[in-house]
Amino acid sequence: MNEPTLTLDGAPVAFQPGQTLLEVARGAGIEIPTLCHLEACGPQTSCLVCLVKVNGKMRPSCATVAEAGTVVESETEEVHEARKTALELLFSDHVGDCLSPCQRLCPLQLDIPAMIRGIERGNLEVAGVLVREALPLPGILGRLCHHPCEQGCRRGAADGAADIRGLERFVAERDLQAGEPPLASCEPAKGKSVAIVGAGPAGLAGAFDLARKGYGVAVFDRHERAGGSLRRVEDSELPSWVLNAEIARLGRMGVEFLCNVEIGGERLGMVELRRDYDAVLLAVGAAGVAGAGELGVTVSGKVISSEARTARTSLEGVFAAGAAVKPVPQLLRAMVEGRGAAECIHRFLQGEPPERVRKPFSSVMGKLNAAEMGAFLKGAGAGERHTPCDACAGFNRQEATGEAARCLQCDCRSKGVCALQRYAQLYEVDAGRFRGTHRDFEQHAQPGGVLFEPGKCILCGICVRLAEQAAEPLGLTFVGRGFEVRVAAPFHEAIERGLQKVAAECVRACPTGALTFRSSFSLI
Amino acid sequence: MGDFDFTFTDETVARLGREPGALIPILQALQERYGYLPQDALRRVCERTEIRPAAAEGVASFYDMFRREPVGESIVRVCRGTACHVSGAERVEEALRRELHIPEGGDTDPQRKYTVEPVACLGCCTLAPVVKIEGRTFGHASAESISEMIKSYEASRITADSQPSTEALDASGGAGERAAIHVGLGSCCMAKGSDRLFHALRHAVEQAGVEVEVKRVGCVGVCHRTPMVEVVAPGRTSVFYAGLAAENAEALVRRHFPGRGWLRRASRLWTDALDRLLQQPDGAVEALEQREPGMAAFLGRQVHIATEHFGEVDPLDLDEYLAHGGFDALRRVLGELQPEGVVAAVEKSGLRGRGGAGFPSGRKWRMVMEQPGPEKFVICNGDEGDPGAFMDRMLLESFPFRVIEGLAIAAVAAGANEGIFYIRHEYPLAVRRVRAALAQLEARGWLGEKLLGADFPLRLSVMEGAGAFVCGEETALIASLEGQRGMPRLRPPFPAVAGLHGRPTLINNVETLALVPWIFRNGAERFAAIGTERSKGTKVFALAGHVRRGGLIEVPMGTTLREIVEEIGGGAPEGRQFKAVQIGGPSGGCIPARLADTAVDYESLGSVGAIMGSGGLVVLDDTTCMVDMARYFLQFTQEQSCGKCTFCRIGTRRMLDILERLCAGKAARKELDELERLARQVGEGSLCGLGKTAPNPVLTTLRHFRAEYEAHLRGECPAGKCRALVSYRITSDCTGCTICAQRCPVAAIPFAPYRVHEINQELCTRCDTCRQVCPHHAIEVK
Repeated sequence: MNEPTLTLDGAPVAFQPGQTLLEVARGAGIEIPTLCHLEACGPQTSCLVCLVKVNGKMRPSCATVAEAGTVVESETEEVHEARKTALELLFSDHVGDCLSPCQRLCPLQLDIPAMIRGIERGNLEVAGVLVREALPLPGILGRLCHHPCEQGCRRGAADGAADIRGLERFVAERDLQAGEPPLASCEPAKGKSVAIVGAGPAGLAGAFDLARKGYGVAVFDRHERAGGSLRRVEDSELPSWVLNAEIARLGRMGVEFLCNVEIGGERLGMVELRRDYDAVLLAVGAAGVAGAGELGVTVSGKVISSEARTARTSLEGVFAAGAAVKPVPQLLRAMVEGRGAAECIHRFLQGEPPERVRKPFSSVMGKLNAAEMGAFLKGAGAGERHTPCDACAGFNRQEATGEAARCLQCDCRSKGVCALQRYAQLYEVDAGRFRGTHRDFEQHAQPGGVLFEPGKCILCGICVRLAEQAAEPLGLTFVGRGFEVRVAAPFHEAIERGLQKVAAECVRACPTGALTFRSSFSLI
Repeated sequence: MGDFDFTFTDETVARLGREPGALIPILQALQERYGYLPQDALRRVCERTEIRPAAAEGVASFYDMFRREPVGESIVRVCRGTACHVSGAERVEEALRRELHIPEGGDTDPQRKYTVEPVACLGCCTLAPVVKIEGRTFGHASAESISEMIKSYEASRITADSQPSTEALDASGGAGERAAIHVGLGSCCMAKGSDRLFHALRHAVEQAGVEVEVKRVGCVGVCHRTPMVEVVAPGRTSVFYAGLAAENAEALVRRHFPGRGWLRRASRLWTDALDRLLQQPDGAVEALEQREPGMAAFLGRQVHIATEHFGEVDPLDLDEYLAHGGFDALRRVLGELQPEGVVAAVEKSGLRGRGGAGFPSGRKWRMVMEQPGPEKFVICNGDEGDPGAFMDRMLLESFPFRVIEGLAIAAVAAGANEGIFYIRHEYPLAVRRVRAALAQLEARGWLGEKLLGADFPLRLSVMEGAGAFVCGEETALIASLEGQRGMPRLRPPFPAVAGLHGRPTLINNVETLALVPWIFRNGAERFAAIGTERSKGTKVFALAGHVRRGGLIEVPMGTTLREIVEEIGGGAPEGRQFKAVQIGGPSGGCIPARLADTAVDYESLGSVGAIMGSGGLVVLDDTTCMVDMARYFLQFTQEQSCGKCTFCRIGTRRMLDILERLCAGKAARKELDELERLARQVGEGSLCGLGKTAPNPVLTTLRHFRAEYEAHLRGECPAGKCRALVSYRITSDCTGCTICAQRCPVAAIPFAPYRVHEINQELCTRCDTCRQVCPHHAIEVK
């Protein structure tokens, strides 16, 4: 007997009778987003993020049983718009940050709260890994970064931001002071190589990222030693041992430094670079622009012409970054530019359209009111910002632990595993599309370790259903009606009392960070 | 804990059952007893039954009627229905709260004497704005009349109305050729004192010693003139009296039925007394004949099928119902027609569901008939929740036997042996009358093991809703019957396949069922001959709002809106312009006056963005702001959303946010596009009919009244309705009489005898009191 078929995005797809459209689509390799669907619970049809268009009408695919001959649309602009709106509506009533403001503001995306948790819990290994995997030259950043993270720190509104840069320096220098400073992990060699012209901050950052991706990297610099503008920083601000150690570490990652080499002229020009390398990154700094012009790339005014989004110059396979492209007021910006160009080069070499990495999505809850701040402060170490007793040496271990304890840990325990966050990234959600009032951020810590953050609940109904299926004596329920509906245990009991049997299952199944364990902050 | 006396709780459980489905009736009993749901009692219920605590909490917090905290001695219900809204309900509510000293954010005064409770709709739309204090309904309330209303209520509490109920009376039976005085005793009529008038008339007749029957009848339809009395005498044209009070009873009886001897001679005096009353300049009392132009226009276009014999029959007089051919249709269905024949006839009639969506009834009946299985259900959907609609209430109150007959025919066709009337609890009279009618039928042995003597068991019962608009949606209604939160689920499966307790279930609206007996008595062809190509028969409308003659009307499909508003309704009130009609309530739309020639049928109304809806028809004049109308309806749907699906729960809230900003003059231009885009997406994406149709009021007003939205972007409200955008000023017509200064609740008008007063704009809350009290019309709103 022939299996029944339907049309899915224009192609015929066979299905088993009784299958839902969600299952049929998954079988056909199409990922339809869904937040409220859990096999064990049956369809909840609450989130409506799994919409598909069936014979011209939007329907939740999780609960629509496939019928032969129907025409189903999933990956169309219209359907995606509808799903995106559903997500944006959910975000308009979703109170909480995915990423803490400090991490959001770090253009190099160091997971700052996780690093701090490592320090606080005495797990400096983990803190070290986080730092060296995320940052190109952590020891240097630990001293010179203009730390936008600290401007974002929520504690700044109470009694002073956490000394994030100081903590980062503490971790980074501990690494550097090791006999053989540990390296960031590198992917296997890809068999392609990149020439970077200029060993300043942008060039070094690009070299770091490209080396990690498995490319052979050669850095050319006309000076005696690599470092560019970093060599001109006062020793009191950046001791040369730190700079040297970081450059040495890059060398150990396989980056080849060719100093005292002037690019141009007959011996080594652009022709040779393009012949010997698969791509070229010009990070020659503001002073090198004139020379670059002679290499054949178009120069307009005082900078190399390049496409902002792709870092491409007028020559195929030649990219540019850093102060050679636009003024970079801070060291950090130069590194970010170098990183962006490295990503574009990587994509170019992989045959993909060059593009910078999109910033990770994060829900943003805005300024905290007094009550919200108070609740956060209660959970963190008291007191104002610590000052290292030896300013030159930075934090000692005890001071670092004390300062780390001041962190409010305001990121979400579910970041990175949260389905809502993932789909938001995928569907390029504008979390601020609908402005309006929202409820307060709350954390209800339960004695048994469950943490309930009602503002993050999207009322998917999974926990309510799981509790019912498990015949919980109290259980959970929806309370109220309309926009005000909330999930709660009956009779004003604590939520954990309603989950005496299935708390762990509910935490696991929660599609957002509404139900977690207080301890479920992962270190990495 | 510990001190609570569980006797009542335990008795209630014993009486109503231990299964999960008993939850709502149990909570209703507790609510009735305590005025709220004591936590201890709830826990006890869970211990003593199969009801889970989570279910009890979820249900108790879902329905409007359940309260979790103790309330004041008297509950003051303020109607927020559409007709009330456009007639100033908001200001009435504010004034009530002021008068009763209800603190901001609370609902009960510190002495716990009164609790103010807004209600979605009390269904007395022609009396708008309406306030109901405990059992007493006050119509045409205004901020000004509040203190008198409270005084009157408190006075009546002291004297404790001892009049016997009109419900306790036995049906008088077989009026035949006797003279009679008919008194309309629907809820609206009673709100205007027709019950007192009824008793006064009986008393007067007794005193006069004349052979006249004072007869209770259902809704007369002419609700704008209640209480209505009709004097019927054999061989004479009957005369209607509108606006009579109990004090006029004696005059009326003596004039029309002078009796014998010296009394006859004295009747002259009474005629004079009545005439004087009728000639009073305020025109409160009127003698009307059917030929009188207003009455003729009101009744002229109407065709009475669902409301057949309106104003003539005693709602609970079974013999009278039989005398008018009652149960003939059911007898035929049981006798000669097989279910197939019944369904075929309904199909042939072209009848479509009158609940709003207009699904072909025959097709629905066939689906249920064709389902296998011995256990099926029929349900009469009497959860009329549209603010501005009261057709179903009137039909249930006035023609309970007709609706029962309709449901019984449906049961026979479907092969169902159990049927349920789901009636909203806000309609206590409807609930009582249906129960009383069922009891009479059971007493005659016509229900139960045998239906009308035929070998077809049918048990019918009444379930009271607990206050949730969404329960009008059939899957939500079923959830509610099963003792759950009224949350709809995705269809298919349709209830016809898997409904109550997973069994095939036929759900029809009250009006649909009320039409059914007529179809079988007069033939499907005759029904199909009325109306238009695709919309057959008649439609009952609750005509209210800014119209001269509001009431309950029944017109053939295809009648135009203009005919309804201008001919039947007599147009907008004196000096005002007919601007639009709101049809279909929160699921419907606003149709502008320039499209008033739109015919009332499913397709034509759909083509202008509205829907037929269940029959609420609120006329709007030029004092109505269309942006405010949209805001009003979104406020309603947003509160009534079950909260399950994202589009409805949050989408309607975000639409409301934008509308609120518009009404406050704070919206950005791009938000208008966002509103439209979101409205479309909410309509497409929502799970059930409530969410799918919730954007209609927004979309129709955007389509037909875009200029008003544009004006709000500029910070102007052309109708002068949106408070944030208007201000009150006193013109030079002011004589300095100081009344406004005395009455201003926030002291925003300094006392200035004999001089032109001024309003302090900082203090003014735009409560409208000054405009209402000014005897010289010297208050200007701009």
